[in-house]
Formats: sequence, structure tokens, C-alpha cells
Amino acid sequence: MLDLILQALYSGLLAGGSYALIALGLAVVFGTMRVINLAHGELVLLAAYAGYTVESRLGWSPVAAIPLAIAVVCLAAACVYGVVSRIRADREINSLIATFGIGVILTNTILLVWSADVRSTSSAWLQEAVVMGPLYGMRGELAFFGVSLALMGALWWWLAKSWYGRAVRAVASNRDAAQLMGIPPGRTELVSFLVAGVLAACAGVALYSVGVIQPALGAALTVKAFIITVLAGVGSIPGVLLGAVLLGVAEALTVTLASSALQELAGMGLFLLVLFVLPNGLFGASRRRG
Amino acid sequence: MQRILGTALAGLLAAMSAHAEEFTVGAELPLTGSLARVGAGMQEGIMVAAEVFNRTNGKHRMKIATVDDESSPAKAIAAVEKLASDGAVAITGGYGSNNIAPASDAANKLGLVYITSGGVDENLVTAGRKHFFRINNTAGYEKAALGLFADMKVKSVSIVHSTKDATSSLAQSVQKALAAKGVKVTSHAFDPAMTDFKPVINKIRLQDRPDAVFMVGYENDYVGILRAARVLKPQVKAMVGVWSLATPKMAAEFPDLMPNVYGTALLPFPAKFTSADGRAFADTYKALYKKEPDYLGQFGYVQSMLLFEAIARAADKGTIRKGGIAEELRRTDRETLIGRVQFGANGDNVNFSHRMGQHQGKNIVIVWPPQHATGKMAYPAVPW
Repeated sequence: MLDLILQALYSGLLAGGSYALIALGLAVVFGTMRVINLAHGELVLLAAYAGYTVESRLGWSPVAAIPLAIAVVCLAAACVYGVVSRIRADREINSLIATFGIGVILTNTILLVWSADVRSTSSAWLQEAVVMGPLYGMRGELAFFGVSLALMGALWWWLAKSWYGRAVRAVASNRDAAQLMGIPPGRTELVSFLVAGVLAACAGVALYSVGVIQPALGAALTVKAFIITVLAGVGSIPGVLLGAVLLGVAEALTVTLASSALQELAGMGLFLLVLFVLPNGLFGASRRRG
Repeated sequence: MQRILGTALAGLLAAMSAHAEEFTVGAELPLTGSLARVGAGMQEGIMVAAEVFNRTNGKHRMKIATVDDESSPAKAIAAVEKLASDGAVAITGGYGSNNIAPASDAANKLGLVYITSGGVDENLVTAGRKHFFRINNTAGYEKAALGLFADMKVKSVSIVHSTKDATSSLAQSVQKALAAKGVKVTSHAFDPAMTDFKPVINKIRLQDRPDAVFMVGYENDYVGILRAARVLKPQVKAMVGVWSLATPKMAAEFPDLMPNVYGTALLPFPAKFTSADGRAFADTYKALYKKEPDYLGQFGYVQSMLLFEAIARAADKGTIRKGGIAEELRRTDRETLIGRVQFGANGDNVNFSHRMGQHQGKNIVIVWPPQHATGKMAYPAVPW
């Protein structure tokens, strides 16, 4: 039984790392613009298909697709921003509808371009098992986890130290005051969308490298990212990691100790429990105090 | 004089009813959403059937009107209603028992025949839909899986199945039948959204320790399960699945995961079609889609061809609008690409029995039943 629980914790941790990377982009946009980008999962999926294209057409490792994925996803993210920025009234609600529509368009575009077949990497290196005592993982999963931590660190550094990062935080805090201080809010918001695009691109390529993709997956990715973002507390980068790992571990433990059929239910149960106890999310209250 | 005129008029009416006509047949299919892949595969078979029928029938023509149900039950109903309002005389298609049930209900209320091979849930044929017909069923898949396990002489099986209706139904019936034969069975239901199967496979590896793993899901599930098994390497003798697994596409897309894996397959790969009907199907399929036909295409072709033939017979008898299509389908007794088809009172094909194939190298070898086997099963053998 101990072996089972240890493996569940380890699988949950690795899954949490991948969830965190998928959620980061959504958290950045949500934190800065209070816009829930319901097309975020489709942006991640677009990058995953870029990985598939590079691997299947050129025979290269999907990792080599990251520059292409960044270019494609950032272009798509800029288009999403172009639509959202034109919304003048009730931006929170109207942006939901607009980004949902964009998500549907992206899903169907993916379907038309790449067909409905399921795709997954054929790279033996990425799928190779890495065994540490009683713990089994895939090399790709460990790489995914490492990339997730590195990008989270880079994002934290960017938000804390760079001019644009601080501008993003200033606009998130008070858009009008930031504008009075000479920060162009429109450009700053576009930058946050592009940063989210870069994160989504890395997440998508990583997702293709360890999992199975199909055109309908985008909506499920958005839901997962949204749960983690709210669980974390709006705008909290460490919260995203903690929320994602908690979710991954809760799901894996549920599969091991109860039933695999209850995995999604466990995730939603955790989500509701955290929101009941901490309505601002795991890191929402401390952030407000800060 | 009146009698002569009456006879002439009756003759004229009969001749008119027997005239060549073009009929619109509705295809309600999931072309987008989670079932898009299988929906597209079935549509290919439907289009091939229309092409072959229109070329060979020589009299009536079938025009296919397709509406995408987006893999959604509500939209499946809307699709059937739209097709009916556009003049469809019957519906072919449907995928996923969850979508087929409400869609065929809608067709039933409209008095339209609904024929499918996309749903194996037993409720589809026990709910009393008078115009519902199905060419495959859980019993046929169950026979194949049980036959294979009997040949393997397994003592224990772990079943990993999706919680969807059709997959749960098949998993439960196989579990019951295996248990009745004294085989130790453990069951692991999983949510269709599940992607990381390592915790499940770890339970199988450490707790269940079965002779074989039986997977009941769809392509993405199989890839996830097999990949997790490849990492954890449970000490099993066989990995067995059902639909969408022993296909050339899976062999080509996932060459590292498929070796020695078993799945239902009516034909070996490369396919050998010996009948004239089979050759017409395969040649037309390759001409239209520039690839080898798969099982989805075969099923879509057979169900649609049987429907077209029933429509043509009903048209010749002038009974199209009087329930003639359903009547002709009930009279069907015909050898097809999937075997002999006859419909019972509930609309189910009473003869359906599947076969089991195994990925061996780049080929798919039929290994069960013995009378249709094209090779010997590699057992014990797993992909890793």
C-alpha cells in the first residue's frame, strides 16, 4: 500500500507541474486584465499541434517546435487581445462570450487543419521510463515539471524586476492610476497577452510530448487552468504551482485509494472546499494584505 | 369504359411509383467535438455506400444530407429534426450511445428509420423504438473478448473502462461473464477526462497482478493506458482492447505502443476482400479517400447500404411513406462485410459477432475465432 501511495503522490506531483504550466498563461491574463480567456486551452492546443507538425513532417523532436509554437500562439494571442480590447462595456462578461467564440473557431480550425485523429509523440527518449526506487515516471514528464518550475521562476522575476513586469502589476492594481504615471495600459495588456502566449506555447509543446492530443481537448484544458487560477488566488504565481500540485495529488490519491471514476469529482471537491474556506483562493488573502 | 379507365389509372400510378427517384438520406454524425474522429470515419463509409449504390443500382439514387451533431445529445436531436424537415426519408449515422438514444427517439417520433453501428448500449434496443436498427451490439463484442480470453486460458483479468454508457455496459457484461466462468476479475472505471493512467496501472501491477488487462475505451484512452503500462511494466501476459484499437491507423501512429496488442477487427491488415461487395467497397473507398479502409468505414458502409436497398425496395412497392423502409429492413437477410445481417423484433442484428485481431509487426492478424484466423496469436506477449 505504501508503494501505491508513494507512486500516487509522485504521479500527482508530476501531473501538478504540467497543470501549473497550462494554468500560468490564464493566470497572468486573469491577474492583469480580469479577463478569463476561455480560448486559453485552444492556444495551448495550437502549440501542441505545432509540436506534432514539426515531429511528423520534419522528424525532429517536438521540443524543436517551441520557436514556431511561440510565433503561432503569440499571433493568435494578439488576435484574442485585439478582440477583447475593443470591448467597452461589461468587459468581464463580454470577454467571456468573445473568448468562448474564439475558442470554438480555434477548435474547428485545428480540426480542419489536422483532422480529428488523436496524436501523441513517437519520441522514444521522451517516453522512456525513469525509475527511482518504487517511483516510476516518464522522462518527458520530468522535463515538463522542470520546465514548469523554470518558467514560473522566470515569470516571477519578470513581474518583480522588469519594467514591463512592474507595469503589468501597476495596471492590474489600478489601471487609471497607472495611466497617470505614464504607463500605456493598452500596450501593457498586450504584453501580458503575449507573455501568456509564450507560456501557452511551452505548455502545448510539453503537453504533446507527454500526453495525447485531439481537437476537442482545448475546453478541458481551459477548465483545468481556470480551476487552478481560482484555487491559487488571482495573480499569485506560487499559488498556481501549489494549486496545481494539490489538484494533481488529490486526483492521483483518489484514483489510488478510491476509484479512478471519481478523479474529476475529487478535483472539483477540492476546488469547492478551498473556496469555501478561503474565498480568495490559497494566496488571495495574503496578496491583499501585501 | 370506366373499368378500362380505372385499370389504366391504377397501372399508371403503379408505374409512377416504380419510377427512378432520388431520395435524400440524412446522415447525423459527430464531425466536431470529442467524437469527431469516429464520426468522420463513419461518414466516409456512408459516402462510399452512396457512391457504390448510385453506380450499381441503376434505378434509384441516394443523396446524402449530412448534419454535424457536434458530439452533443441536444444537437443530435436538432440534427435529426433538421434532416427530417429537409426531406430525409431515413437517418443513417450516429455515434456514441449517449447521442444516439435521444437522436433515435426524435427519429422515432417523426416516423423515420434510424440505422446505426455507433452505439452498443443495450438500452438502445430495449426502449421500444419501432424505427431503430443496429448492425452491431455489445453481445458481439463480448463474444469476441470472451472467446479470446478462453483461448488464452486466463485465470485473472483487470478491466480498465471509461465511465461512458457503451464502455461501461460492455465492461460490466464481460466482467459478469468472466466471473461466471471462474475467472478472477477486477474492474477500474475511469473518467473520460483522465489522461494519466499510471495510478491505475500501478494498482493493477501491485494489487491485481492479472494475466491480462482488458481496456474498454477509445483511442486516446488506449494510448494513455498503454503508455502508462510501458512505464510501469506490469507482469501481464496480454493487453486486450476493443474498438478503434486493432486498426492500421493505430499501428502507423503509435508503432511503439501497439506491438502484440489485441483489439476487435473484422478484417486483417493488409485487408483482403474476397466478395464482389467487399471489392466494390475497398476500391471505391481508396478512390475517394486515398487510403486503406478501416472498420468505421466498413460499418458505415454496411448500415447505409442495407438502408439504401430497403429504401429502393420500398420505393418500388410504393410504401416509402407508409412505413415501408422499416418493413423492408425487418425482412433483410443478407451477407455483408460484417457477416450475415438479420434484424430482430427490437431492431438489433441477431447474428453479430466480432473477431479479434492482434498487432503483429506492421500487420493486423485475425486470431479469433479460429475459423476466420489469419495467423497464430503471439501469447504471452506485450508491447514493452
